[in-house]
Amino acid sequence: MNFDKFFQLAKEAGITESQIQIGRSTSTSIDLFHHEIENYSVNSSQSVIACGIYNGKFGSARTEKLDKDTFPYLINKIILAASKIEKEDAQPLFEGSNKYHKKNVFNAELEAIPLSKKLEDLKKLENLVYEQDKRVNEVEAGFAEISTASEFYNSHGLKLKQKRNYYYFSAYAVANDGKESKTNYEAFLESDYSKLNLEEMAKKVVTGAIAKFGGDTIESKKYPTVLRYDICSAFISAFLSSTIADEVQRHSSLLEGKLNTKVASSKLTIEEKPLVKNIFFTYFDDEGVATYNKAIVKNGVLKTYLYNRETAAKDGVESTGNGAWEGSKIGTSYNSIYVKPGKQSFEELIAPIEDGVYITDIMGLGTGMNTRSGDFSCQAEGFRIRNGKLAEPLNLITLSGNLLKMFKDLKGFSKEAKMTLGGTCLADAYIKSMNIGGK
Amino acid sequence: MISNALAKEVLNAALATGGDYAEIYLEQSDVESIVLDSGKIETVGTRQGYGAGIRILQKFRSVYGYTSDLSKKSLIKLATDLSASFEGERQIEVKNITKGKFKNVNPIKTHLMDVSADTRIAYLKECYEATKSVDPRIVRIQDALNFWKKNIRIYVAENENAKVFDTVEERGRLVMVAIAAGENNSIETSFEGPGASNGWEYFQSLDHKAKAIEVGKKAIALLSAKECPSGQFTVVIANGWGGVLFHEACGHPLEATATAKGLSVFSNSIGKQIASPIVSAWDDGTIENAWGSNSIDTEGVPTKKNELIRDGICVGFMVDRFNGRRLNMAPNGTARRESYKYAPTSRMSNTYIAAGKDNPEDIIKDTKLGIYVANFGGGSVEPTTGQFNFSASEAYIIRDGKICEMVKGCTLIGTGQEVLMNIDRVGNDLALGQGNCGSASGSIPVNVGQPTIRLSKITVGGRGGELK
Repeated sequence: MNFDKFFQLAKEAGITESQIQIGRSTSTSIDLFHHEIENYSVNSSQSVIACGIYNGKFGSARTEKLDKDTFPYLINKIILAASKIEKEDAQPLFEGSNKYHKKNVFNAELEAIPLSKKLEDLKKLENLVYEQDKRVNEVEAGFAEISTASEFYNSHGLKLKQKRNYYYFSAYAVANDGKESKTNYEAFLESDYSKLNLEEMAKKVVTGAIAKFGGDTIESKKYPTVLRYDICSAFISAFLSSTIADEVQRHSSLLEGKLNTKVASSKLTIEEKPLVKNIFFTYFDDEGVATYNKAIVKNGVLKTYLYNRETAAKDGVESTGNGAWEGSKIGTSYNSIYVKPGKQSFEELIAPIEDGVYITDIMGLGTGMNTRSGDFSCQAEGFRIRNGKLAEPLNLITLSGNLLKMFKDLKGFSKEAKMTLGGTCLADAYIKSMNIGGK
Repeated sequence: MISNALAKEVLNAALATGGDYAEIYLEQSDVESIVLDSGKIETVGTRQGYGAGIRILQKFRSVYGYTSDLSKKSLIKLATDLSASFEGERQIEVKNITKGKFKNVNPIKTHLMDVSADTRIAYLKECYEATKSVDPRIVRIQDALNFWKKNIRIYVAENENAKVFDTVEERGRLVMVAIAAGENNSIETSFEGPGASNGWEYFQSLDHKAKAIEVGKKAIALLSAKECPSGQFTVVIANGWGGVLFHEACGHPLEATATAKGLSVFSNSIGKQIASPIVSAWDDGTIENAWGSNSIDTEGVPTKKNELIRDGICVGFMVDRFNGRRLNMAPNGTARRESYKYAPTSRMSNTYIAAGKDNPEDIIKDTKLGIYVANFGGGSVEPTTGQFNFSASEAYIIRDGKICEMVKGCTLIGTGQEVLMNIDRVGNDLALGQGNCGSASGSIPVNVGQPTIRLSKITVGGRGGELK
């Protein structure tokens, strides 16, 4: 597409500055069931999002229909939106950062591995899961390979491009011991195919399901609680949503007025590292601002809010490179979060707990979390901790509390940090006490 | 979007290697959204979706692909690529394409997209003023009107006579959020989101100002609510949106997506008792102008009123074409998808527990100690184990047959099997509530519903200690 043409047409229509982004994605996925390919899918899509300044106001529009009418459509919709918006005048569009830390994260080797090899590995994964234990009676195994490319252009001449690709294998196991069914899910997301370890994945998914047999509830009270890394990441995300400057400026963040104050235990250090070379790598945001690595919380002290250009201007600071489309406006988001791990192994971490709970699954935190007050309540599963060791499984319990209080009660992390599928790298967390509901 | 002649070529390319069914799903969608933040127009958004999904079935195998390029070259390539995963001989050669017939269940007078931006804005400003008038402690108010229009064309080839279905889905939803700030930095949020597959007449008939006042009042009430107790209690659940419990705990496990592979707690349950004998339940995609209604599903099957549970006995599932093959059951108009980017599968539309005989006031009166859940935030379920959770956004203590103080932070957890059996009272006040359901084929609009019901016991999670 000729984007200069777009800038010219937009200018003629009275849009003084404009920006256009195009995203392309292709994917292939395969699902197995009972040793047969049940679903096979090949996909490709593209979409364009454009925005501009008209009479000093910001407007945007997006479409997946790319033809001769695309530019006039986008221009008309930008003008319509900008004509109605009642917010204060928009920031001028960005002219560019001094330096961009571009890296190549596209792995051509992954693309070169034939699909037949990936299918063979998927079949192997399915077999391995069945072979782990006689009680495994159903398995769903899946593979997907995704490749995305994004391009950014604006009328100031800023041109940025980035592409990435990755794959994932997933296994869902159902085990039945004659009395009850238990399930578990494992997924592995990477761009480097040599890191795939099917044996380990199969073992993990089955061990996880089997360990849940014979679970019971627990007496309702406060317990020392250890959150598995992926469970803790859900709470880290909820916490980070309060560091978004827009929420702070609108007085709806838990962390308003708390910059450079202690908001959590000194064991908590959260960094955003978008420039680490992994599948989450991003070197520019949706406003064209260069991203950079930074501490958000250091030893329990809140070091920065996350800004886009508009919220940064309001606070008289620079954008932190966190601008991201949120519907029809540029909101704020983050990428590649690293939570500093501790020094103890998991066994050492739980050793001092006489009677506690290890949470390995939660359901319903999305609706059970009031991100504005920090109060939460959700369903959970896990294991009892007795005399410093993991004991019997627990199910149908509830976990409730307040987000800020919970991170103030953080006693530490284990040393075994792992990356979640959502891009947060962290270890298991020990919280002094949490409300567990049961009988 | 494409001609019948091209569709025939694409279907025949898809069926070249022995597929016994092929389908092209084409979509052009427009979404318009106006958002007010604290009374000021924050965004006016438009989004256009455009693409096609091609699916080929061969016995128990399914291949699916999509593209946003609807050129002949692109569609033929996609159909050929997909068909390459089968190795058989052609079974079907499409010769004719005729128009499929169905009844329109969502008649519309004033199309939403014809309503001017200024009219929508004026409506939203009335909502804002109404919420704002409630209490100065309301610190932020969000109001939005979201309108969707989808032009859909589906080609279905099961034999040499393929069918084409053209349908338009139009929906609108009003979203109102109030945020109240109280002492000690406490912040509470409340939400209302009425919507319908209907025209502007729906919004004109809605008492939007009264609803906006309710949203404000609820946020203020939450500021002084105590924490919900935890333990096993008797719980009365209000009608309407309370039906999300049935949706999560019982609806999802009754979708053929889960039952066909034996992965649901209700697999092989047809003819068996799965609920208390006072429970009957339906999934009805044909309720006129309802939020979850469509005239046809996304594989071209007309929607139906499907009976799921009769007097506690499981009598049906929601069945799509593909999973119906394993179950040996005919598709019943429940195959839905968010967009062309998803293959269709069996999903709920308007799903509810049917009205019973009890007066709702009597249900409360007959409850000595328990919790009254007036509204839920949402929830989720694991269909294989039946475990579910719901968080209540508005709940009260019931003491000596009376609704007493409000409590917050309340979660109900249990298994679908258990909760269905534990329903001991069913009211006569059936109502529906609107939501969006996310599952295998994306996020789709659904109505949940029920009359007031009582659960003899269920686990409640909260931070308020014992129930007294």
